[in-house]
Amino acid sequence: MLSTRRLRVVAGLAVTAIAAVVAVSSGSSATNATTLVIWTDADRVPAVTQVANAWAAPKGVTVQIVQKNFGDIRSQLNTVAVETAPDVIVGAHDWIGELSANGSILPLSPSAATKKQFPTYALNSFSYGLAVKKLFGAPVALENIALVTNTALAKVPTSFADMEKQALAAKKKTKAQVGIAVQQGSGGDAYHMYPFFSGLGGYIFGTNAVGNLDPSNIGVANAKFLKNAPLIDKWNKEALIRSQVAWDTGRDLFTKGKVAYYITGPWFLSDIQKSGVKYAISGFPQIVPGIKSVPFLGVQGFMVTKFSAPHGVESLAKDLVANYMMQPSAQLALASANGRFPANLKAAAQVKDKDLKAFGKASVGGVPMPNIPQMASVWGDLGAAWVRSTKGAGAIPARRSFIGAQKSIAQKIG
Amino acid sequence: MTSVPIAADTAVPNPSLLARAVGFFSGPVGLAIKLVLLAALNALAFWAVGVLLADEKWIAALAVGGATLLIDLVYLVPDRRLIPLKFLVPGTVFLVSFVVIPIVSNANIALTNWSTGHNLSKDEAIVAIEEVSLVAPADGTTYTATPATKDGELVLLLVDEGSGELYVGSEDGLESLTSGTATVEGGTIVAAEGYDIVQGEDLAGIDTALRGIVIPTGEDTFVRAEGLTLAIELQPTLEYDEVTDTFTNIETGVVYTDNGEGSYESASGEMLEPGWRTYVGFENFATILTDPLVRDPFIRVFAWTFAYAALSVFIQFVLGLFLAIVLNKPDLRLQRIQRAFLVLPFAVPAFLAVLVWQGLLNDEFGIINETLGTSIPWLFDPTWAKVSCILVNVWIGFPYWFLVCTAALQAVPEELTEAARVDGAGPLQVFRRVTLPLLLVVTAPLLIASFAFNFNLFNNIYFLTGGGPYGVEQTVAGSTDILISYTYKLAFSAGQGAQYALAAAVSIFIFFIVAGISAISFWRTKSLETVR
Repeated sequence: MLSTRRLRVVAGLAVTAIAAVVAVSSGSSATNATTLVIWTDADRVPAVTQVANAWAAPKGVTVQIVQKNFGDIRSQLNTVAVETAPDVIVGAHDWIGELSANGSILPLSPSAATKKQFPTYALNSFSYGLAVKKLFGAPVALENIALVTNTALAKVPTSFADMEKQALAAKKKTKAQVGIAVQQGSGGDAYHMYPFFSGLGGYIFGTNAVGNLDPSNIGVANAKFLKNAPLIDKWNKEALIRSQVAWDTGRDLFTKGKVAYYITGPWFLSDIQKSGVKYAISGFPQIVPGIKSVPFLGVQGFMVTKFSAPHGVESLAKDLVANYMMQPSAQLALASANGRFPANLKAAAQVKDKDLKAFGKASVGGVPMPNIPQMASVWGDLGAAWVRSTKGAGAIPARRSFIGAQKSIAQKIG
Repeated sequence: MTSVPIAADTAVPNPSLLARAVGFFSGPVGLAIKLVLLAALNALAFWAVGVLLADEKWIAALAVGGATLLIDLVYLVPDRRLIPLKFLVPGTVFLVSFVVIPIVSNANIALTNWSTGHNLSKDEAIVAIEEVSLVAPADGTTYTATPATKDGELVLLLVDEGSGELYVGSEDGLESLTSGTATVEGGTIVAAEGYDIVQGEDLAGIDTALRGIVIPTGEDTFVRAEGLTLAIELQPTLEYDEVTDTFTNIETGVVYTDNGEGSYESASGEMLEPGWRTYVGFENFATILTDPLVRDPFIRVFAWTFAYAALSVFIQFVLGLFLAIVLNKPDLRLQRIQRAFLVLPFAVPAFLAVLVWQGLLNDEFGIINETLGTSIPWLFDPTWAKVSCILVNVWIGFPYWFLVCTAALQAVPEELTEAARVDGAGPLQVFRRVTLPLLLVVTAPLLIASFAFNFNLFNNIYFLTGGGPYGVEQTVAGSTDILISYTYKLAFSAGQGAQYALAAAVSIFIFFIVAGISAISFWRTKSLETVR
């Protein structure tokens, strides 16, 4: 009896050990082909697949495209294991500060001839460094908001006073709640209110002697802006703008022909076209003499991660991103994948779509969203300040509201 | 009231079931199943230990290996004394992997400086600092590069983009290439005598060798390949000294030393990026207690979190109970359909419901104000926003209490309520003195659990108000932020990027708060059980 018992234990251990060895050895017999892993958002999967494969095929490289939510790419890069990590990612220029401070992405050096094909701000927006500024990504697509006019209700404004007058007249006619649809919501949306903010003299970070953004110079409540801020109170009073307009209500107000003016980006273009509203896209009129009213600029592009070195594909990844993807043909394919304006000037010259061209024109003079990590402290407060002053009844005077935001941001940045 | 007859049969497990289960796993079929399961476990453990050893995580490897061996012995060694262990092991494994390990690793993170700028190991950080410090010298040259081999060794065939001169670059330095021996097309060398150009599918395999080619051109300047077609001359601006563990700025002479908090810092407080992840002791806990940014809103946020969770659960329970009683009348028409309709909110994904509510509550465009003819600032006024949070949470949560109370009401014995009525008690008195106490015995633990759940219910706040609206004086936490959403904001939108370690420290505080409240409540509800 005892011997059978012992036999069982031994047999059991033997069986499990064999299974273990088999499992391990089958796992380690992975193929040795050179694989380049790219993380991209859903919109760009077909374009990235096409561009990356055209580059990879003659080099004997296999490209593995992994689809991710755009925002997840940024956060997951901080925690991903080396084995499953990407070599190349798509991202926005304002991630650069965080990703580079984390050492997650590698600096790039495209050739001078390639760099010449890009506007300076597009390259600057992807550059970061405390002492030495370096390029950390290949800009691909530009996006920004513009002024969309319902040409059946109003004309493209010649000045802000003109826009205000026409907007209020249209509001009266259609019995709408607001004159201009600017997407906000109770949480605020600093991105969409920025043309007003910049037009009144506001800025977020100043620059230091080297030309880098200086997080200790916060311009949310600078003197020039505060002098003009009472205009916000006036707009609130006459319901020219209201922060109750959320992303969906804003779109509906415009597509149902309720408002004359709508401030939005290319992502709602197809909704506007489907609605049949006659529209024109233009830049923002100047609000105060001497100050331009400009949108935030977002630049999307590709970056090479630190994981490409242990994966043995760093040179390949740099060639793909800093060389191949920056050429006009790849730029055109990648930018048109989600209906954006290409960053490459030669590719931009080939854009035929008149709406895209109009968005491109509205971007002139725009400010790239600050790409330093301290920007994380700004979005919420800046949006909240605008909401406090444009929520209709019970609104707080803009001066007080923005001084509060400035204090809060300064305290958080420390 | 010592025993309810129906419960007696089902509650006590059939003793023979246990014996039969033990017997089954001793038979041949049972043994086979057991061996297959153990084999799968061992294979998994074997693989895990291999990975851990490769990563040099000795303790973890030892723990996994040891635990697996112990599990094998427990299930394979036929000893009566091991039988209780056979039942204990699975529970312990789950307890360890889903409770103990997360808590320990959370506490472990809380002791580090893990945040934006402190995400690498120190060795990785040194490499990254060196890399970022490279600049093109003022008179630096750029070249088009073509990888090629000579006698099996990889070299770079270079064309100076400025002068057009040709070179061969290797570890030994730059060497001129006689122009007659090479063919240049479009600015790059496409063929050269005595060299095999690496092209086509061979390009896939040269990465490591290519990055190894550092061509010295001066005292500290060098040329190296960037990608596959370009090489540039570079020069470091910082120099690392391994002996003293310091970086020195070559131009200014400023010295950066390890500040013990995961960064190289100069005497004037200037830090190099990136830093690295390291242990900083109880610094994060000290920050929570001393930093006004964290401390000031804490009491306000805590009070609201408590009120939010308590009021939500209380109103959900009262509403659920009321509806359960109303629909408990046996002769009610369409009872089932009515019940089904009431449970509907439960079937809608909560965060979707919250987003819909956000639209409904919009004070200018929302259907609620439109229907009521009011202009209540549901989401834009600090007080009304709090009301809205509770309102939406009640809508999402009451069906749960309706279900629980409906079930619990069936368990209240008819004889008791009837006896009370015979004794002359009115319906209200019957409810207050008999039904409710019996109901509370069943539901009290659920109420406590629900409170703890609502205490940390991130989604409803995040999607409805985002923690807002913010008063002029409010920093980090808005009017409706609860502790967990406030933690999230502390971690991701206050300061210089993401602060994982600080968030982990706050979550440990929250854990103790919730655990404390729950412990007190459970202890208090023991008194309820004396009712039985």
